[in-house]
Amino acid sequence: MFRYIVKRLIEIIPIIFVVSLLIFFFIHLVPGDPVRLAAGKEATLEEIERVRQELGLDKPLLTQYVNYMQNLVTGNLGHSLKTGLPISDMFENRFSVTMTLTFLSLGWALVLGLLIGTISAVFRNKWPDYVGMLTAISGISLPGFWLGLILIQVFSVTLGWFPTGGVESWKSYVLPSLTLGAGIMSMLARFTRSSLLETLKEDFIRTGRAKGLKESVVVRKHALKNSMIPVVTIAGLQFGFLLGGSVVVETVFSIPGMGRLLIDSIAFRDYPVVQAVILLFSLEFILVNLLVDILYKALNPKIRYDS
Amino acid sequence: MKKASFLRTASVLLFSVALLFGCSSGGGSGSGTSAASNGGTTTGAPQKDQMVIAVNENFITMDPQNTGDALSSGVQSAMFEGLLIYDKDLKLMPGLSTEYSVNEDATEYTFKLRQNVKFHDGTPFNAEAVKINFDRMSNKDNNLRAYRNYKYIKSTEVVDEYTVKVTLNQPFSAMINKFTTGIISPAALEKYGKDITKNPVGTGPYKFVEWVQGDHLTVELNPDHWNKGAAKVGKIVYKPVPENGSRVAMLKTGEADVIYPLPEQQVETLNGAEGVKVERTPSTITRYVSINMLKKPFDDPRVRQAINHAVDKDAFIKVVKSGYGAQLESVMSPTIAHYAKQGAYEYSIEKAKQLLKEAGYENGFTTDIWGNTNSDTMKGMQFIQQQLQKVGITVEVKSMEEATLSDEIYGIKSPEEAKMNMWYVSWSSADPDNAMRSLFSSENFPPAGANTAFYKNNLVDQSIKEATQSSDQDKQKQLYGVVQEHVFKDAPWIFLAVDEILYGKRANVNGVYITPSGGIYVREAAFQ
Repeated sequence: MFRYIVKRLIEIIPIIFVVSLLIFFFIHLVPGDPVRLAAGKEATLEEIERVRQELGLDKPLLTQYVNYMQNLVTGNLGHSLKTGLPISDMFENRFSVTMTLTFLSLGWALVLGLLIGTISAVFRNKWPDYVGMLTAISGISLPGFWLGLILIQVFSVTLGWFPTGGVESWKSYVLPSLTLGAGIMSMLARFTRSSLLETLKEDFIRTGRAKGLKESVVVRKHALKNSMIPVVTIAGLQFGFLLGGSVVVETVFSIPGMGRLLIDSIAFRDYPVVQAVILLFSLEFILVNLLVDILYKALNPKIRYDS
Repeated sequence: MKKASFLRTASVLLFSVALLFGCSSGGGSGSGTSAASNGGTTTGAPQKDQMVIAVNENFITMDPQNTGDALSSGVQSAMFEGLLIYDKDLKLMPGLSTEYSVNEDATEYTFKLRQNVKFHDGTPFNAEAVKINFDRMSNKDNNLRAYRNYKYIKSTEVVDEYTVKVTLNQPFSAMINKFTTGIISPAALEKYGKDITKNPVGTGPYKFVEWVQGDHLTVELNPDHWNKGAAKVGKIVYKPVPENGSRVAMLKTGEADVIYPLPEQQVETLNGAEGVKVERTPSTITRYVSINMLKKPFDDPRVRQAINHAVDKDAFIKVVKSGYGAQLESVMSPTIAHYAKQGAYEYSIEKAKQLLKEAGYENGFTTDIWGNTNSDTMKGMQFIQQQLQKVGITVEVKSMEEATLSDEIYGIKSPEEAKMNMWYVSWSSADPDNAMRSLFSSENFPPAGANTAFYKNNLVDQSIKEATQSSDQDKQKQLYGVVQEHVFKDAPWIFLAVDEILYGKRANVNGVYITPSGGIYVREAAFQ
């Protein structure tokens, strides 16, 4: 197992290299000149050229890429074209904010998703099942943007329980994480339900019941654990969705996170910042997938990772 | 099923959650006017000494000499002052100078400086400090935004401790407006270098406290300010909140004391909300459609005039601007100096058709209009499309993301390459030079400048040039009057509207204004 993890970690290096290459060239393919945007509408041609030189954007693309990679290897993410600030400074607070938001959302989505899915499976075609699946379908169908605004209207404006946005205390995370997690919670509930229903039909469950095991023990100890593999897969894959979803949620709730930084930077064609944010998102996604693979093993010891 | 009682309890719990969800959706569609009761209790407290101002974008820089966006400079105006400052109505008033004189051909400006003023870090303000700042801005190698205007400065001389003389390398009357650029503490400039953008030190009524990128920027009252007592609020927190709905919610709950901008569509939701006021002020923003005069059939003035007659400007303001705005009756907003009202192109389908017939386009023609992807822009373009259809002109609406659009318009090598036919756009300026030279001087055809209609008129070119070279206000007024008259007649634009600035504030907020150019004026901020 240890050898497997080390091998996987080493494999990340070429992946990141390819990802960085793709990001770099794709973003330069997008129309729009950051220099023109940085210099403003009134800028003269001379000014524009001066800014271009200062930002190093007058050099051939390949040279720019080599410079970028050289900096990256030494851990230097570069400077923002828009603000001139070092990108690492810009990430300082934002990274932890987005991570907190993402993991909180995933956390409650997992708990509630599993709970709803399990209840629905156990009470198949009875009212708890209908309520559970209605909740799940609502969660999937409500767009995050809309749900966020509704939650603000009800819980901030009308009831005054939570702030409308920003990050000041734990309260600030409640509404955004509910908004962000709703979709995943629903998906997890549906997958848990169908996976559990499949498992409950298996022979070993019938054996367990025949042996006189309590129904709760059958469900918790035997069925649920065996139904978890597809659920964990979905949770891992959905992590990418959460990172993307944070863009919308951070905008609605004015959260100074990575998602909002990404949107602002794309609009401004702030190449170095866009590259750094996407690279970081990719890295996180790869690491979470590694975690998912390790969890497989924990859930089902029969899975073997031969190197 | 008895065995699964824990599941049953859980499902009841779940049902309650689902019910709560259902209720919240229902409640959300309500008007939510009860909000004020919550906000009222927090903001009404007399001991309140912190004001929160929510704006729609992030601040880019806190170096006043390298700023291009209205929002950053709006925030900076709390901390920095220039030799002159704009008041809330964009009138120039004494700032760090108490008086000034200028020679006849607008090449020499002499300022008497305010005495006993200190920067926030204790550095004394004097002629030497002004010279250091002006030298910084007029040095090309520093690559500052302010260089655009300060390049006209040949030299800055310290006459005595509180007198400074600025000599220009060519006559430039609009220079007086540029002396509003904030002056930075020379000691801070030396200490922080390029990092001055994160460590602003000026002489303003408020001192910098902290700037958490993307989250907030805080300033606190400067107890040693020369105009002590005007501003009374101890702390001001500026917060970028991009989502319109969230900003409005913050105002309702009292989390924000002032919000800007307030989108026209949101005014309705605030009307009747307790403890909240909606404020309106005319802006410097003109809204128009730039018509490419190098292209057929727009090279014929009759076609451009016909288009102007075919668009109902009153309906435009009602439909697109929700009634907030005024007809554009010259090339710039009435808030700008030397404004000369030209009237309006009367809305008349008959006249439009007649003019088109005279120009040989009796059956109309097909063209396209460009704009960004903003929903208001889309609405505006569709309005133009619908209006022009009535006179037989078929308009295809093409919206492009802002950076792509900017590239298409300004990224051309020569004017002939321009693919644009019509562009739905706006422009904001605080002085007549920026309102006219930038947009109508033939030197400013893209890619060199923003004359996107490719308008060329020798008399206009000459008048603009003469106006920039004279410090005589009457002469300037007459020359800029000639420019406005000719441009309006030649119709390089569809003249649509002057925007109104809308902002919201809590009823107990005093002395905070949004200036016509979108600056945030807090020099007299106070709570009732």
